[in-house]
Parts: sequence; structure tokens; C-alpha cells
Amino acid sequence: MSDGNKFTPYMRKDRLPHIFCPGCGNGTIMSAFLKAMEKAEMDFENIAMVSGIGCSSRIPGYMDCDSLHTTHGRALSFATGLKTANKDLDVVVFTGDGDCASIGGNHLIHAARRNINLTVICINNNIYGMTGGQISPTSPKGSYGTTAPYGNQDNPFNLAELVAAAGATYSARWTTIQIESLVMAIKDGLKNPGFSFIEVVTQCPTYYGRKNKLRTPTAMAVTLKMNTVFKDAASRMRQKDLEGKIVVGEFANTQKAEFTENIERISEEKFGKKTLINSAYEEEL
Amino acid sequence: MIVIDEDLCKGCHLCLFMCYKNVYAISSEANKKGVLLPYVNFGDRCTNCGVCEVICPDQAITVDVNKNWWVGKEDNSFNPKFSKGRK
Repeated sequence: MSDGNKFTPYMRKDRLPHIFCPGCGNGTIMSAFLKAMEKAEMDFENIAMVSGIGCSSRIPGYMDCDSLHTTHGRALSFATGLKTANKDLDVVVFTGDGDCASIGGNHLIHAARRNINLTVICINNNIYGMTGGQISPTSPKGSYGTTAPYGNQDNPFNLAELVAAAGATYSARWTTIQIESLVMAIKDGLKNPGFSFIEVVTQCPTYYGRKNKLRTPTAMAVTLKMNTVFKDAASRMRQKDLEGKIVVGEFANTQKAEFTENIERISEEKFGKKTLINSAYEEEL
Repeated sequence: MIVIDEDLCKGCHLCLFMCYKNVYAISSEANKKGVLLPYVNFGDRCTNCGVCEVICPDQAITVDVNKNWWVGKEDNSFNPKFSKGRK
């Protein structure tokens, strides 16, 4: 018998309880990531977490590992530099939907195009939660927000399919309610040698729920569960029926040449040695 | 056996929604933080599936089982590669 929670040994206990609202999905994703990391049998000491700005980007602050809290939208750029400088690190990026899709959208598609070995967990709560409930690029059509009092008229981004089309080798979308599938997807993403993107649709009862008449976490969880359509079932449905639905599943799972390995191969071809070195002393190579 | 940490729980009641055996119930009195804590009403129904443990956003629920079933080991050492002996 163990005493204490199974996930708190990986966390900075003096900072708990965390500042997320009651019922926020970010804490669930912390637990799901830790469980997936245990399933993938990774070394927790070798993980570096990078995050941008937002509610979800506070997650690495609660983890007891190396973490980097960067500028808004540039988490993937910092993570690319980190991974290129030290390719033995397992770099995990936690971003929100405003951080990843809106201001850092170009970084996202170009990191996917390069196929650099990162694991990106995009926590999509359909709204800008930290700044007071503005409409984000992934807000569903017809949803309400502070900046859309008559309903959002724009079509939302389909992030998992965007990243799959940009050339990522692993791309999946799950919600916090399908918790076992989410854990397996994060595990597959951590094991995949290449750009892995996992979009997690979460509940935000404080801002999204308040504006859209789903005030309790349970009401948001029920709507998430009701609106979920699996990918194979969605391919047989008409476009009209798919409006407002969340298509979950795995959108890409392939193998391609990886960015840091390409750099190492070309430097050994041209110069006969590794040009990426961690040590200042060449004999330690 | 299920242990709920009173200091960490914020009272979102997602565990009540996710538990498919309806083990939990809401207490009628609030604690000192004003949170209506869930409590284990039907502990004999629990199948130790561990969904409430993962879905809890505040890491307040611990489902105590004798072995760490997802690693498949007898003892509770969490990650075999998790170094420095922290547990």
C-alpha cells in the first residue's frame, strides 16, 4: 500500500492545490500525462517541459522536472531550439488553443512540416480562459463569448487535421472524458520518433460554460460526451450532421525522416563528425 | 479502498459523473472551505478501475490497490526508470 496520491510524487507539492478552477480539465491532463509517461516507461529526469502563455501553460510549473515558461505563442520555437541543441532530451510542449493555433499557428505548422521529435499536447478549451472569455480560433460556430455576444459566426480551426496535413507523423484528438484513449494517445505520441500532436478538448466551466449555459463541470462533461463522434463513424456521416460535433480519433500515424537525425547525418556526411556537441571538449564526443 | 484528500478537493464532482458504478455521493454539509466533498457511499461496488483517480483534476482521489496495475508490478514503485529513489 502506498500512502498518498500516485501522481503527486511527480509534482511540486508546496504549490498544490493548483490555481485551476474547480472542474477545469488541465489537472486531468496532468494526471493523464503522468500515467501515459509511466506506461511508456520514460525517464522523468530526462523530460523537459515547454509552455507558452495561458491557463494550460501553467502545467509545467506544477511538475517536478525541468520546465521552460516562454513568451506567448513561441513555445514551439523554444522547444525546437531546445531539441536541436540537445537531441537526447524528451521535450514535451503544453500549449493552449490560443497559444498554439492563434498567435503561434505558423510555428505549429512549420514544426509539423520539419517533423522534429516533439510531443505537443494542445489543450483546447474553445475560449481564451485566462484573459476573460474571448472567442478563440477553435470556438465552435454559434458559441458565445465576451467578444461574441450574438454568437460566433466564424468556422473553427480543425487543429488535428491541420497538423496531419502539415506533415506530422502522429496526430490525434481526444476529449478529457475518453480518458483511457487519451492516455494511450499520449503514450503513442511519446514513443513516436517524430512530431506528435495530441489535441485534447477540455471543459472550461468558468468562462465557456458561463457564457454558453453550461455552468457546472458535469454539464460540460455531458455535452462533451454527447457531441463526440468517432472518426470512422464521422466518415459515413453527412456534413450537415457533423456541425457542432467533435470528431475524435487518430488522424495521422506514419513514419518519416526526423529533423535532428537529418542534421546529424548531413554533418557526418560533409564534415565526418558531429557538429552538434553538448560539450566544449571535443575528446568527450 | 478509496481515499479522498480534503485539502485538495475543490468540489467539481466529476468523479460522480465518471464513476460507472456510482460509488460516490455528495455530502450534505460543506467543509471549512465551503466545498461539498464527495464521499464513498458504496465502496463494495468499486472495481478498482482507477478512472476517478485520473479524471480528478486536483489529484485528490487515491484508489489504493495492492499492485500498480498499469505497470504490472507487484510493488508500488511507480516508474521503473524514475531515478533518485523518489516514490
